[in-house]
Amino acid sequence: MAITLSRVFRTTPFRLTLLFLTVFAAAASIFLGYIYVATAGEVTSRADQAITQEIQSLTGIYRQGGVKALNRSMIERATGDRPFLYLLRDKTGQKITGTLEASPIEGFIGSPASVNFKVTDTDPNGAEVRHSARGEQVRLEGGEMLFVGADVSEAESFVLKILRAIWGAAALVILLGLAGGILISRNVNETMAGLNRVVIAVRGGDIASRAKLRGVNDEFDELAEGLNDMLDRLERSMGGLRHVGDAIAHDLRSPLSRLRSRLELALIEAEAGKGDAEAALAQALEDADGVLATFNAVLAITRLQSAVEAPDQVRFDPGDLAAGVAELYEPLCEDKAIEFKLEATPALTVRGNREFIAQALANILDNAVKYTPQGGAVRLRVRRRASGEVEFSVTDTGPGVPEPDRPRVVQRFVRLENSRSQPGAGLGLSLVAAVAEAHGGRLELDEGPGTLNGSGPGLRVALVLPRLA
Amino acid sequence: MRILIVEDDVEAAGAMARGLAEAGIETVHAADGVLGLAAAQAGGFHVLVVDRMMPNMDGLTLVETLRREGDQTPVLFLSALGEIDDRVVGLKAGGDDYLVKPYAFAELSARIEALARRRETGAVQTTIRVGDLEMDLIGRMVHRQGQEIDLQPREFQLLEYLMRHAGQSVTRTMLLEKVWEYHFDPQTNVIDVHISRLRAKIDRGFDHPMLQTVRGAGYRLEA
Repeated sequence: MAITLSRVFRTTPFRLTLLFLTVFAAAASIFLGYIYVATAGEVTSRADQAITQEIQSLTGIYRQGGVKALNRSMIERATGDRPFLYLLRDKTGQKITGTLEASPIEGFIGSPASVNFKVTDTDPNGAEVRHSARGEQVRLEGGEMLFVGADVSEAESFVLKILRAIWGAAALVILLGLAGGILISRNVNETMAGLNRVVIAVRGGDIASRAKLRGVNDEFDELAEGLNDMLDRLERSMGGLRHVGDAIAHDLRSPLSRLRSRLELALIEAEAGKGDAEAALAQALEDADGVLATFNAVLAITRLQSAVEAPDQVRFDPGDLAAGVAELYEPLCEDKAIEFKLEATPALTVRGNREFIAQALANILDNAVKYTPQGGAVRLRVRRRASGEVEFSVTDTGPGVPEPDRPRVVQRFVRLENSRSQPGAGLGLSLVAAVAEAHGGRLELDEGPGTLNGSGPGLRVALVLPRLA
Repeated sequence: MRILIVEDDVEAAGAMARGLAEAGIETVHAADGVLGLAAAQAGGFHVLVVDRMMPNMDGLTLVETLRREGDQTPVLFLSALGEIDDRVVGLKAGGDDYLVKPYAFAELSARIEALARRRETGAVQTTIRVGDLEMDLIGRMVHRQGQEIDLQPREFQLLEYLMRHAGQSVTRTMLLEKVWEYHFDPQTNVIDVHISRLRAKIDRGFDHPMLQTVRGAGYRLEA
């Protein structure tokens, strides 16, 4: 996407740069302005001081030696290395001596006065140049007028240089600032454009579109990561919905049609006066209950999956919760001659919805007891991992699940061949996975402890909850 | 027993009335919240069965209004909303029990009976006696025919619930909810195993069994 300049001007980073630049320029102007005023003032006052000193020393010479001595001294001084500008006039205003032709101060009132004026000079090439000068005039005791001036063009050009430097610096600051603003804005813009592309693509229906991470772990990467995570969840939940639609259609249609034909058959047989209507009704009721159970389980799973996180989360001791569920299943194990053991690290804390986690645990235990043969063992363990996560793990000595099938058994309605003889709709582990996910955790399936009493290799199912924030 | 059914689905209410009539429960039907409130305010019911979502006035408002007026008639909420938080909302509004549609008649009638009975036993008890079975609630001891029966804490709670509802059918779901406080349906009937253990302790070696299995419903403790 081409980024035009007018677009750059509209971006937030550019506006912020501009604002910053304005504030910076204002501060710099005040600072530089102060330097200018201070330097220019210093130059003038130094010149004035030198002129006043010169007048004092010339007045001293006049007092001692009269006009003649003054005249001589002035001629000497005019050829020295300190080229003051002199003009001495008599009472009538006629020039006696000096380097100036006329006084820049006319209508002299009496007290010493300072003035700015220009002197014309010739440069080494013969061209006329005008210099800035400053001078002061006094009336001597004999009525003569003495004017002393100084060429301040050098000092003034120094001040001008400073002024030019100030202007240059200001221009440079503004240019650099603008360039920086455009650069930052382009940079941010390109990143934002990447994110925007994803948003536009998703809005257009391409849910699989993802933002690229730049790998610098800045706030843009964080945003991109958040966006991707959100889209992952959205995609999963949309995929889940589609799958549920298909799954419900598939899995409810067959028991519903079975129910329907059973009822129809019962009606036909009842009309014909044969068959056991009561048994048919009882069977139909059982079928209906099965359909409802499946329906409820699917509903619970989809509700969990569509929720951002499980509702009503509290902090609790996972060992207590496990003990409660274990207590529910222990007699069942005993009846099946399965050795049951609960190992819980005491005083752990997790955060979650107790009811959902208890149900997930019950589902895992249910499976374990269902598939573990007589004489086997089931162990429920609650512990904290080194990572800080808390796991509820159930290990059994049943036939286990072959590794390639493990990701599949978590999906809704997936039942492995050898489990078809067992009751259940294939929703137990899906619910556990949904519970884990709604708590920011996960479900893990692993190999069990190996063969025991001729069965095995067993299965280890772990519900892992994230560490407390 | 006479109960009020507040339910806008007339067909469902009719089926409920027929089902409950089989269990010997007399029913009166109100077809929306406003009619239901008026009927409930008129009084004379042992239990109110109230649907959550109804026209004119929803079930929650109805029950909240009754409770504000000081009416303590037990209420069973009946609802298609079955999530845990929906249940909590219903109980907070003043409901005493919550049943999710669709339900089994056995479940409904057992719960109605349990609610009606709960109302009769008002005073604080220290001992419960059912036939020759005696439970000391303070000493946490159980005797049958003077012979001490050793029970685990959960077995004690289970028996206490059964004794408090002696003569009534209690369903597995009720036991799971009231004794274990779980609101989910375990796939395996774990409750049956607990009951058979309890039965072994209180009935084995005595001339007549007290803990009966009620087909299609649950269990019943008989004197």
